Amino acid sequence: MDLLQPSDSALISLYLAGQESAFAILLERHRSRAFTTILLIVRDEEMAEDLLQDTFIKAIHTLKSGRYNEEGKFAPWICRIAHNLAIDSFRRSKRVPHVSLTDNDRLVNTLPMADDAADDIMAREETHSRLRALIQELPAAQKEVLLMRHYGDMSFQEIANATGVSINTALGRMRYALINLRKKIAANSHHYDSNITPFDTASLCVQRVAS
Amino acid sequence: MIQTLPHSTLLRYVYNELPAKELREVEAALLHDPELATACADLLLAQRTLDRLRLEPRQATTDAILQYSRTFMVG
Repeated sequence: MDLLQPSDSALISLYLAGQESAFAILLERHRSRAFTTILLIVRDEEMAEDLLQDTFIKAIHTLKSGRYNEEGKFAPWICRIAHNLAIDSFRRSKRVPHVSLTDNDRLVNTLPMADDAADDIMAREETHSRLRALIQELPAAQKEVLLMRHYGDMSFQEIANATGVSINTALGRMRYALINLRKKIAANSHHYDSNITPFDTASLCVQRVAS
Repeated sequence: MIQTLPHSTLLRYVYNELPAKELREVEAALLHDPELATACADLLLAQRTLDRLRLEPRQATTDAILQYSRTFMVG
């Protein structure tokens, strides 16, 4: 753990004591995950921006009114709000998205430029676009677990509780989501750059075992 | 194929959700079961790929949220 980085809990305490800068750090820390979760569900950038605002407005209300449960973790909590709002919105609208998830313009503008050559960025962006499209092809139950685990920071037990299934069912859905995604990536491998689909799987094993 | 661990255990290992005792058992099994190690690597690759997929909202959206926070008063 980085001692120079205040915990979410510490930031919340500072925020409630009146330090707005603490909330700015919380927002900076969690906006990307929440936004990605929302966008992968609603597939409409404008709507996702609005829902991200709604998510944090809801959080502000809960925090400032003293209703936030200190025992909970902030990351899964905020992503859970984002996920629920996105699902509600998606069910209500059922409309054709204004902007497809395969639209490249946004990421090109937001990816960090410092250390990357333009070609690398374009290759990565193309890969990300295709990956987002592949995630959309997953069955709904698998996609839900994948989003909650990866972008909502929820444990498998928390996902099981939230979706009303056993932990083994949640794990099974996640496993098939990853397997299906890997198959789809392999089938589209000519589209992926080597940074995202490394071939040396053995080195990854050693790395995880040693950590 | 030696694989003695259920896939659910492997998945929880990849996502760091195993208690210490089970974690050591998985790591020991990985050393002796190449197919298990490969299955684990596949899961790690998928996990790593997904972790790279992050999107950022517009700065205007962030500013609007911060502005709301500054002006919101509990009624």
